[in-house]
Amino acid sequence: MSDLETQKRPPVWKRKDVQQTGILWVIFTLIIGYVVSEFQVRTIGAPASSVMATTIQMMHVFTWAAAPIAGLVAAMAATTLLSKHHYGDTPPEDADHEIRNSPRIAAAWIVVSALMCLFAVVWGMIVLQQDSESILDSKAMNINVVGQQWAWNFDYIDNGTVRSEDLYLPVDKPVVFHVTSKDVVHSFWIVQMGIKIDANPGYVTETAVTPNKIGIYDLRCAELCGLLHAYMQKKVHVVSQTDYDSWIQNQGGQA
Amino acid sequence: MTTMMERPAAAPGSAAPKKALIERLNLFTALGLGVASAVVVWYLAKTFLPQNTEESVIKTREDQVVLLAMIAWFIGFMIGIGAFIGPFRWVLGRDLSHDENMFYAGKDQGIKRYFRYTTDHKVVGIQYLVVTIIIFFVGGVLAMLIRTNLGYAEGGWLHPQAYNAIVGIHGIVMIVGTIVMITGPFGNFIMPIMIGARDMAFPRLNALSFWLVVAAIPPMLSAFWLGGITTGWSAYNPLASQAPPGMDGYIMFICIFAISTMVAGANITTTAVRMRAKGMTWNRTPIFIYGVVASVALALPAFPVFFLSQIMSALDRSLSSTFYDVRGGGSGWLYENLFWLMGHPEVYVILIPAVAALMEMAPVFTRRPLFSFNLAIMGIAGISGLSVLVWAHHMYVAGWAPLLNGPFMLTTELISIPTGMLFLVLIGTLWRGRLWMTMPTASIYALLWNFMIGGITGIYLSDVPIDAFLHGSMFVTAHFHYTLMGAGLTGALASLVYWFPKMTGRMFDKTLSWVSFCLVQIGFNVTFIGMFLVGLAGQPRRVEAYAEVFSRGNLITTMGAYTIMAGMLVLLHGVISSWRSGAKAPMNPWFAKTLEWTVPNPVPLENFEVLPVVTSDAYGYGKAKS
Repeated sequence: MSDLETQKRPPVWKRKDVQQTGILWVIFTLIIGYVVSEFQVRTIGAPASSVMATTIQMMHVFTWAAAPIAGLVAAMAATTLLSKHHYGDTPPEDADHEIRNSPRIAAAWIVVSALMCLFAVVWGMIVLQQDSESILDSKAMNINVVGQQWAWNFDYIDNGTVRSEDLYLPVDKPVVFHVTSKDVVHSFWIVQMGIKIDANPGYVTETAVTPNKIGIYDLRCAELCGLLHAYMQKKVHVVSQTDYDSWIQNQGGQA
Repeated sequence: MTTMMERPAAAPGSAAPKKALIERLNLFTALGLGVASAVVVWYLAKTFLPQNTEESVIKTREDQVVLLAMIAWFIGFMIGIGAFIGPFRWVLGRDLSHDENMFYAGKDQGIKRYFRYTTDHKVVGIQYLVVTIIIFFVGGVLAMLIRTNLGYAEGGWLHPQAYNAIVGIHGIVMIVGTIVMITGPFGNFIMPIMIGARDMAFPRLNALSFWLVVAAIPPMLSAFWLGGITTGWSAYNPLASQAPPGMDGYIMFICIFAISTMVAGANITTTAVRMRAKGMTWNRTPIFIYGVVASVALALPAFPVFFLSQIMSALDRSLSSTFYDVRGGGSGWLYENLFWLMGHPEVYVILIPAVAALMEMAPVFTRRPLFSFNLAIMGIAGISGLSVLVWAHHMYVAGWAPLLNGPFMLTTELISIPTGMLFLVLIGTLWRGRLWMTMPTASIYALLWNFMIGGITGIYLSDVPIDAFLHGSMFVTAHFHYTLMGAGLTGALASLVYWFPKMTGRMFDKTLSWVSFCLVQIGFNVTFIGMFLVGLAGQPRRVEAYAEVFSRGNLITTMGAYTIMAGMLVLLHGVISSWRSGAKAPMNPWFAKTLEWTVPNPVPLENFEVLPVVTSDAYGYGKAKS
């Protein structure tokens, strides 16, 4: 863009409003990137699976990638707001120019947004591919999940015929959930593990995760399913393998 | 004058004996005939429809009765308002005379024309404006009920059933309000004048589209007494087939409203294509016209699908068909697809005219030409084109077609490119302009801010792995409020202040417009940033109670919501007081160059004495400089 800029006198970068915008751009980009990612870190909390860790990382990168764009718009808006403006019932004089277009700026804008879009899509596809492959993991344990108004049931099919209303998972072991519903559409969401899949009557849908931290997490229904939708939640217990084995034997299954 | 219709019992007694039928029909005869038909059909259906017994195959008597009564209401109302007189007379070979057409146009009728089947586009515009305000008032009250209920974790003073019903009605009321908020009042009142036409291409269809909206509202509001719309505005099946008869109100409402939208879409599109003034080439057509046309033209493919989806829903409920019932070979995923085939274009139906309206105002308030008119059109066209290809991003986690998640992620993220163009146009127009600070000017900044947040959060949501975390959470609710309300409604409120002088002949009170602007924008950002907070922390949507950890964010949101309410009440006061006793508006208070400011106040019946000839575009501001 430098040859465009040199045509003008004084050069664009020496004009006061351009310099001001440039400085504001840097400041706003840093503020937006920092504040928004802090906002995310503080509210989302610690991830309990690598899926969730990747999700948080993606949100951070998207945030920092979007920050310069948002920062530029904010900086230009702020510069125009800081310039002299006019109140009153009659309009100010016309502006000092009648620029109607700038093909180069338009082209640059389109190219940059297309590149960012491409980046987001490609990275999204890669992660999506990893997540989808984990559903096919043959070494994973399988749990059938049945949603109904307004409770969840879990069938531990790899451990005999154990059916429980509690969800216990051994740590660091891949697990595939086969999800269905008895009545209406529910959505199976383990918040801190970043996985979600709808439970549809008549169909089985799948999602997979490897919990990597011992603890108690939240399972919530994420699709309005009638009267007590708000209360259709459970705790998810991620425990060590030995604790899991003893729990499953207590339930009458084989470890 | 003879007629095939019975004289309605509820006709006003003051009618002089020699009045022709078209002079007798008005809103009150329509209400009378509509209610009477509904009651009669309800009674007949209750008496004669087979009872639900152990042996009967179909056990849906209640829904049949409700639906039949609502259909009767609809037909009765439309007959009572006089919607069928024109076509009927034409069929009989006695088309309306010139005088009768002038009567329909509302000539010399004063306030009465607003209660009749009036074809003048200015009357229709005002009618839409008033109805939009009423719709927003109802939706806003419901929003306040929701937020009050969610103020404290243990608050929950509403019964879950009532809460769900309120959420559903709030959703659909607001969606409809935002769909009509710009193309209704301003698309009808301003658009024909702006292109230099005397009226719309099909004035009677114009009246029809408005009265269909009026006919549609009572069935929806009747849901309050029929158990409510307990499914959220998306009314997913099979939940919807379980829902109380309020759901029938929703179905009926959508069907009538879809017809209205299609009629209006055909009419406005034709008007903009065929009736522009001499010399108004596409390059000289104001950007607002593009926005309105893109909006209503998008509704043309979207709303027939919505209509169809609800007809199928109605058949499932009333006649035990199984379009959406997996036990009978149907699928809930079918409904989800049909719904979002409408649902995603629909958000751009709302958004595009709002942005276009602010683009129209930007040159006026910066006193310089619109930056890159062509890019603006490309952006609008790009969004419109892509918006019909992205619907399944609402179904990433539905499990319907995991292999399609990738392609839909691509199309969804592509939309950010044309959307970015709209940003460049607005910011480029502000740049080095000479700012004239009014409420619409400030609205441009508010739109940039809100739409930036709405857009970037949209990029998070378009990414499948992130959506697997955020889908169905409060984050999504905050995101779409940022786009529909933060961007859409901001544009509509600016339009109201900007075109108020032309529509009412009076200036909008400046102080009130600023006070309401500040309250609404601050309250809005507080509300929905609080909602982002609880969404990221994991609070699902549409819940009437939540875990203790979400208390703080919800309290913030509720406080913000009350601020918005205060701002909206100030605005309402501003509309009423300015309309009644505001300062008389000059012909062109903003010194703008579009054609609607070249006609006097109040705008004469046929707008222009002599049709204008256009020789340049409307953005010739700025001093020519080498």
